Amino acid sequence: MKNKNNAYHPISPEIEELARAHEYQPEAALEVLKEIQTRHSTLTTEAITDTARALKLPPHQLYGMATFYSMLSLEERKKVLRVCDGPVCWLKRSSKGSDQSSVISNWSSMVDGQWSVERTSCLGLCDRAPAVLVEDEQAGPVEIGDAKKVCKGWRGVPTEYSKVRKGETRVMTALIGKIDPDSIDDALANDVYSGLKSALQKESIAVLSEVESSGLQGRGGAGFPVGRKWRFVASEKRTPRYIICNADESEPLIFKDRVLMDTNPHQLIEGMTIAGYACGASEAWIYIRGEYESQARRLENAITQAKEKNLLGAKILGTEFSFQIHVHRGAGAYICGEETALIESLEGKRGEPRLRPPYPPTSGFRGQPTAVNNVESFCAVPHIMKNGADWWRNLTGASTPGTKMYMVLGHVKNPGLFEAPFGLTLREIIKKFGGGMQTGSKFKFALCGGAAGTIVDKNMLDIPIDFASSQKGISLGAGSFLICDQSVSPVAFLRELLHFFAAESCGKCTPCRVGTWRSLEILDRMAAGKGQKGDTDELKTLAALMQDSSFCGLGQSVPIPMNSVITHFGAEFAKVEN
Amino acid sequence: MLNIKINGQSIQAEAGKTVLQVAKEHDVHVPTLCYHKDLNPTGNCRMCIVEVKGGRFLQAACVTPIWEGMEIETSSEKVMKDRKLTLELMLANHPVDCMTCDVAGECELQDLAYEYKAEVPAWGAKGTRYKADSDPNPFIRVDMNKCILCRRCESACAEIQGRNVWGVAKRGFDETMVTGAGVPMLEARCESCGQCVAYCPTGALSNKMNYGMARAHQVKKVTTTCSYCGVGCQFDLLVKNNKVIGVSSNPNAPVNGMALCVKGRYAYDYIHHPERVKKPHVRRYLLEGNAKPIVNRKSEIQNPKWDWVETEWDVALDIVAKKFGELRKDFGADSIGLLTSAKCTNEENYLMNKLARQVVGTNNIDHCARL
Amino acid sequence: MSNSMDDVAKHAQTFFIIGSNTTEQHPVFGTMIRRAVKYRGAKLIVADPRKIDITEIATLHLRQRPGTDIALINGLMYIILEKGWEDKTFIDERCENFDEFKATVMEYPPEKVAEITNIPVEQLYETAEIIATSKPTAVIWAMGITQHIVGVRNVMDLANLQMLLGNMGVPGGGVNPLRGQNNVQGACDMGGLPNVFPAYQPVTNPEVIEKYGTAWGLKVEGLKGEGENLQPATFQLSNRIGMTVTEMMPGILEGKTKLLYILGEDPVMSDPDTKHIRHCLEELDFLLLQEIFPSETSVYADVLLPGVTFAEKTGTFTNTERRVQIVRQAIPTQGDARNDWWITAEIAKRVLNIRMKDEGGRMNENAPYASWNYKDASAIMDEINALVPSYGGVTHTRLEAGERLQWPCPTKDHPGTPILHTKQFTRGKGKFMPIDHISPAEKPDDDYPMLMSTGRVIYHWHGGQMTRRAKGIMEVYGEALIEVNPDDAIKIGINGKTHIRVTSRRGMIEAKAWVTDRVPPGMIYANFHFPAASANELTHAALDPTAKIPEYKITAVKVELA
Repeated sequence: MKNKNNAYHPISPEIEELARAHEYQPEAALEVLKEIQTRHSTLTTEAITDTARALKLPPHQLYGMATFYSMLSLEERKKVLRVCDGPVCWLKRSSKGSDQSSVISNWSSMVDGQWSVERTSCLGLCDRAPAVLVEDEQAGPVEIGDAKKVCKGWRGVPTEYSKVRKGETRVMTALIGKIDPDSIDDALANDVYSGLKSALQKESIAVLSEVESSGLQGRGGAGFPVGRKWRFVASEKRTPRYIICNADESEPLIFKDRVLMDTNPHQLIEGMTIAGYACGASEAWIYIRGEYESQARRLENAITQAKEKNLLGAKILGTEFSFQIHVHRGAGAYICGEETALIESLEGKRGEPRLRPPYPPTSGFRGQPTAVNNVESFCAVPHIMKNGADWWRNLTGASTPGTKMYMVLGHVKNPGLFEAPFGLTLREIIKKFGGGMQTGSKFKFALCGGAAGTIVDKNMLDIPIDFASSQKGISLGAGSFLICDQSVSPVAFLRELLHFFAAESCGKCTPCRVGTWRSLEILDRMAAGKGQKGDTDELKTLAALMQDSSFCGLGQSVPIPMNSVITHFGAEFAKVEN
Repeated sequence: MLNIKINGQSIQAEAGKTVLQVAKEHDVHVPTLCYHKDLNPTGNCRMCIVEVKGGRFLQAACVTPIWEGMEIETSSEKVMKDRKLTLELMLANHPVDCMTCDVAGECELQDLAYEYKAEVPAWGAKGTRYKADSDPNPFIRVDMNKCILCRRCESACAEIQGRNVWGVAKRGFDETMVTGAGVPMLEARCESCGQCVAYCPTGALSNKMNYGMARAHQVKKVTTTCSYCGVGCQFDLLVKNNKVIGVSSNPNAPVNGMALCVKGRYAYDYIHHPERVKKPHVRRYLLEGNAKPIVNRKSEIQNPKWDWVETEWDVALDIVAKKFGELRKDFGADSIGLLTSAKCTNEENYLMNKLARQVVGTNNIDHCARL
Repeated sequence: MSNSMDDVAKHAQTFFIIGSNTTEQHPVFGTMIRRAVKYRGAKLIVADPRKIDITEIATLHLRQRPGTDIALINGLMYIILEKGWEDKTFIDERCENFDEFKATVMEYPPEKVAEITNIPVEQLYETAEIIATSKPTAVIWAMGITQHIVGVRNVMDLANLQMLLGNMGVPGGGVNPLRGQNNVQGACDMGGLPNVFPAYQPVTNPEVIEKYGTAWGLKVEGLKGEGENLQPATFQLSNRIGMTVTEMMPGILEGKTKLLYILGEDPVMSDPDTKHIRHCLEELDFLLLQEIFPSETSVYADVLLPGVTFAEKTGTFTNTERRVQIVRQAIPTQGDARNDWWITAEIAKRVLNIRMKDEGGRMNENAPYASWNYKDASAIMDEINALVPSYGGVTHTRLEAGERLQWPCPTKDHPGTPILHTKQFTRGKGKFMPIDHISPAEKPDDDYPMLMSTGRVIYHWHGGQMTRRAKGIMEVYGEALIEVNPDDAIKIGINGKTHIRVTSRRGMIEAKAWVTDRVPPGMIYANFHFPAASANELTHAALDPTAKIPEYKITAVKVELA
């Protein structure tokens, strides 16, 4: 007899307590699971089921989450050391002759038995490559040889950005190194929050118009006009409306948001608060990727300080406007950078993209009107408020208003991050800002935008890059450029990218779920020099399918690097087809 | 009303409808797998993609609302090619066992693969990724190798049964359907209603009780009404060689639609149970003309006069009628009582009422309504 | 049901479920309610001592002390009146006897009700507010309401509540008892009751007697026009109200009942106080049983005739919402088993012959429905159409053509009636009945300190004759389980042991304990699906005075380790 109802289990008191602490909110599912995992190093079937019972959710939903987010685990783990498996770290290691596939075992052999070593998709520490995450502490650059040191607390030397590169126009990065990011007094002394103050003196509709006329475009990669999005939200009759900051910076090559949050958290809070005022929202969330724990803490500290100064909370600065910001940590899933997947995740579910329409400005978080914007977009807002839309439009000579955060990585002399006008060419990025190619390196190709960007060859070095240039085959994306020299095989490089996409495909739709996996299978053998006749054609066919038929932006954009690299380096692909 | 074009044909259609709905209304065939009219569309499988003029991507017809001036191609070359390829991506990992698969002949994946002349790719796992028949549930056979992750089981469990047993676990290529926190179905509080089976478009979820018993084309379906509770669900009895071998949902059932409960769907095997009474039984004393022996459970075993004897109908019916006549004569009509049956038909109950009142002349008739 | 399942599932703003384990006993309707609550946002109040499955999604779960439903309902009506939430127009226009009723209700202030029912006063207020302000409210009940000595009073009080709120005759409202068996509605409709002919025409009504007497070819006093076609008959109908099953059984011991003809029932399993029932059947002169399986009852049968299952017959069932649906024969009758209607007709013909011979009596053979020569079930339905007004238009032809008919459906062109009482009640005005709380017949005491309620489980059906012969079902639920609260389990000392012994004044059973907080402390729940441990060994035949329904839901018992 199989009637398992026979066994009576009250919900474990510990889980009941945790659930109560979260007021039994279903949305707290992820937090509760993370907390249980932290305490017990694993998530057991019983713990998952009890959590579901306590929060009145279906157990499958929590199990689905526990097996979806890479930071959650059903296996018992000790202290966790996550080794970044991103393309930049791969490039760093392979240029030193290290084979990525053996990295995990190498690290494992170097650390003592207290540690569980596992791979992780890009950690967002590309300027610190090769990087690892030690429990929740970011470390890099660290080599395998540093393993013992890392276990004892060595975290590598982070890149420093206080020095302005030649040609930079610093607005959002202006205060890097000039303020203590953990001190609101420092921030206030440097005019942070004056944008908010000036906004609050205006009607909210005027603030909205100002942002609209500034021509600010979303900095997440798509370049959608921020003001227009806010207008949609503000014109929805239903309340409450919500503001969400997308700080789930999980795309390989991208780390600008981390730097912005790390160097000036108040700028982001100020921008979000202005957004709240303009949209008629009173509550906001910063959805920050779980791997950015120190940045999340910094933001929480900044929020506390801002509340103390009445720059957040009830009746801000004596006005009738009240605004709350919460920090929500993700748990490891690239797809959560897709705004509807992010919202799902914020609601305590698997981060799978939603059907669109309806779009978030109509029906977003909790089904309410929601503005989701990137960290960088919010960070630009205070400056527009402070200096006006015209100033922003005329800040640079470029046709796209304002400045942009850029990242340059790979085989350049001076990799890192800088703020500059739109419309730079790849040559400028490499020479002017990146200090030129490394000694002995010759430019072969660049991955432009981000992992889902275009791979270009030397013929495209002089095309000005902005949101529109993807039409010409070179994308701006989130503004990162990985420069590769003659030592890098485009086939092997594409394999790394597909390795990432296959690991991060949510699995919802067939073309992306099987297409990324099959592409990787083909690329695995091609990269090993064991390609088969017709492999390149099959890659092209799969790319076309994923592009046309995938459910969301993830699957639709995987083909961008695939197609561009095959276009430019078809010969190298043909060469490995035996 | 909106003006749209489907395959060049101008159509007026109601705003708020999806491309798929409008296409169906106008007899334009758009293939579907994850879509089912009873369930909220999810747009997962991408079989129903269509080309919309001016669109960057193909759109899933099941979830794309129509708009004014929309121009739709439902079978352009690109669309047909993508559908075929999507099917092939499914088939790559699906077992190639239609010969022995229980649902061959009523499998939506099989139908589409045939319709699109899909070729089974040489690569892929071909159904070797999971253990077949992996769940101990006595009614439902689970073979995740055949799952195409359409998630209709999840939707049916949530939206029809309201039980939320099925869900999705893991991600990407490793994604799989699970019950509860990755536990067997019954432990995940499955009620064994079989809705997931009824909605599964492939053989991933099938019925265990009649596994291997009949191909779809060998079965006669007879629509009838359930004999358990008072809800009055209708369903189809599946009959092969004059035997009931199963029950399947009939989407046109007035009360229940596709929904059934564990008893209605799976507790049918009593029909052919060997213990069925198949001949009239009469106690030996009646045939031998003796007085009724003292009856209790002990003497039943010991007293040969109380043995059952199988007889022909006439013998048994005459004995019965004689007893009715004798006892009625000796003790009056009200010494006879009839218990009619809430399990029998209206027609049979009516006759019992007529027998009591017209033939016997008593109102001593009742049934177990109270019990 | 006054309304249809689909109607309440679609339109009720609130469901008030009292004494119905809907998701287990009427599972598909249960899922309709689940859907309405989960996806349409309807509110759900469940009043049940047990934490049954549907309480998981309930807005509020009231765990009343068993046998205190009237106090609860009166208490809710007190609050409704106190707050002025009653539907004054409906009461004025459609009802009568309000003042007398109100006086009784006013004797049930919340504090007193809380004491009787053990439901906190705040929950009473919350409930009253929900059912009175989120209208329409559909009241749904089943045997949890009726199987009490106050069963009829419980039902009347729920009708009071719905009239008070004006929830009668509207979509999404109504009084909605869920009928247990597939065709218990039809069995009642077809005159399977001791006091009424088909369609609830009283056996004491001379006009009705005349109607059936004439149709069936019997002697009717004062019938005019007996001519060529009407032969004078000598047989006649009885106008005395007959005995209910709960009266026929004890009637055996009193010498009143000599012969029982039981069609497809198993009273040894399903009637209260099994020991007593066995004793009665042992004493019976002649027991004719028509069944598909040998049963606990067949042990006592003198003749056992093989009937057939639903898969082997054609006919109609009437569901709980008065929907008449076709049953189609799918397979041939098994062995030498015969259609149940054929068996009954054969008995009728033979008994008539004997009576004619013995009594020298006769029938009017030219009367339209005197004969028992039916060609098939459809021919029987033709007779029903002619004689049962509410089924007048329900023909096999219409049903076969796919028409969906709910009675009343008096004529061949009538579309049926999904909702009753839209304009007026059957009797005209709805009469408020003043109803007082009465304590159950048997209460826990020192000797039998715990309370047992009985019922079914989702996997099994009634006496279990069918489901115990379903292999898969037995794998999932293969033996009787008795629900015991974890606190009681500790007191009993179950502690890893499995079986308990439950004793009442009438008998004893031993079964496996299911330790679960579904039951509150002090209460156990047992079923009657398994002969080895049937709850009816323990129950008693304390009956509702009107409906003669036994108080299955309350038995005082003692629970020990087995």
